[in-house]
Amino acid sequence: MEREEVKKRIADKFGSKVRIAERSPKRVYVYAENEIWVELARFLFNDLGARYDTGCAVDDRDGVEVIFFFPFDREHYFVTIKTFAAKPNPTLNSITSVCPGAKWIEREMFEMYEVNFRNHPDLRPVLRADTRPADYFAAKREVKDEHETVRERDDGDARSDEVAGRPPKGTNP
Amino acid sequence: MVKKIPIGPFHPLLEEPEFFELHVDGERVVGIDITIGWSHRGIELLSEHKTWDQVPFLVERICGICSCSHPYAYVKAVEDLCGIEAPPRAQFIRCIVAELERLHSHLLWTGLAGHFLGYNTVFMWTWRFREPLLDVLEAVTGNRNHYAVMKPGGVRRDIPQEEIPNILKLLDELEKNNRMLTNAILDDPVIHARTKGVGVFNKDQCRLYGALGPTARSAGLDVDARRDHPIDAYDKVSFNVILCEHGDVFDKAVVRQLENFESIKIIRQCLRLLEGTKPGEICTEIHEVPPGEGIGVYEAPRGEVFHYVRSNGGNMPIRHRVRAPSFNNILTNELSVLGNTVSDAGLITAAVDPCYSCTERVGIVDRASGERRILTEADLVRLSQEKTEAIRKRFAALKGNG
Repeated sequence: MEREEVKKRIADKFGSKVRIAERSPKRVYVYAENEIWVELARFLFNDLGARYDTGCAVDDRDGVEVIFFFPFDREHYFVTIKTFAAKPNPTLNSITSVCPGAKWIEREMFEMYEVNFRNHPDLRPVLRADTRPADYFAAKREVKDEHETVRERDDGDARSDEVAGRPPKGTNP
Repeated sequence: MVKKIPIGPFHPLLEEPEFFELHVDGERVVGIDITIGWSHRGIELLSEHKTWDQVPFLVERICGICSCSHPYAYVKAVEDLCGIEAPPRAQFIRCIVAELERLHSHLLWTGLAGHFLGYNTVFMWTWRFREPLLDVLEAVTGNRNHYAVMKPGGVRRDIPQEEIPNILKLLDELEKNNRMLTNAILDDPVIHARTKGVGVFNKDQCRLYGALGPTARSAGLDVDARRDHPIDAYDKVSFNVILCEHGDVFDKAVVRQLENFESIKIIRQCLRLLEGTKPGEICTEIHEVPPGEGIGVYEAPRGEVFHYVRSNGGNMPIRHRVRAPSFNNILTNELSVLGNTVSDAGLITAAVDPCYSCTERVGIVDRASGERRILTEADLVRLSQEKTEAIRKRFAALKGNG
């Protein structure tokens, strides 16, 4: 399915719950609110026919940015969906009911970043021994000072949105 | 009565750390619990402490066999972020090295699968055919593995003109040998009996599990990053994406064998196109990596390698995510071993050509009594080879009677 059609259908279905950005002809970004996270993945995977590829988490001072990648292979582009799971207890619904292949990456995000995926069938650590201390999350950064968060900073540079993982300004295309 | 059989922490076929706990009822596998992470090295975190130019040396050590694929996907992610392309000559060199790597990886898997099945001649043939490939890689890059060729913006070494006749000669020889090997595998009734209908993972399951590479294509899922997300010279050469339909061990082997011919075709085209480029023009300089994020995908021998980088404009990535194809493919064993026998389990789990570092022990647990026992590497190879031998004898007897 062509990019413009995908962007339109996502915007039509989810309205103000998503922010859509396109930074190159091969990359479409969809910033989603937590509550529609699973439904967005289901819409892309089941209704629009995207392929499930993988996921990624990026730790931030005040939360964890969770990213999944859904390529449209025939049209040669990726749709990247993002949401932000707020600290101190980052929690999201699991997309494994849509893509069972996401089981391990969600387990990895939990074990590394403490993102707790609700409705995941088995959130045991996937990479390290299950004898590890239950409250140790290797990639999670603890910030205890009062510094301004990366996410909140806005230095006027349009690309700083990308660095901070924030949705772009403006309206959906 | 259901028992549990542990396999790991080193795979019997691949000498890499993993642990499978097979839940069995008699000889039938009815469940599996997979544990990975035995050689977790924190590559992503290490990467965030290296400069953009140092990271390729790190990521090519993720896997000795895919030592071109990971840096390839990484440099494409950086180039995606910077919005640049490598010069044409560098693009062709990248594709040549990457396809030489695919050839040696596929031959390595076929040899090991042959050994596991009790076909040590196949093992010895393939490894003999593979050796000159490694010699060519050494001549072209300086190393048999860990080629250190990729760098953001291009490649580190040019291919000397005098090496091209050697590569072409190798390809002619390899094509002939691969044809013989492919025919031998396709025609052997015992291999058919041992691998057809074994470890089936169908097309719909592949899509749900995000299966990649030959694992997906053996079931008819038409995905190949070289065609779907073409990088560098892959949209300048013609090649076929090999598809089968049954998703069993046999089709996985067929896909790999036939892909070897396509790789040879690609390398020949790249060598021809290399003549029209200027020697020495192999890198686009990158003076600054801007803030933002980039995605790099490359079709490694085992499937699509995925790298994601994020930059804040500094000289190191602030986030680098690596997803090897095995991370998706190993999970497919969750379904593909079900209903098969213990003697086939080792072969099925190896059929996705797993790259665990990128883990051998089989535990068997009787689900009813809770009795546990460990099968060693030798036990698994013996079980598999005994099964092949029994089939061989049965076929010989039928032939005698016929």
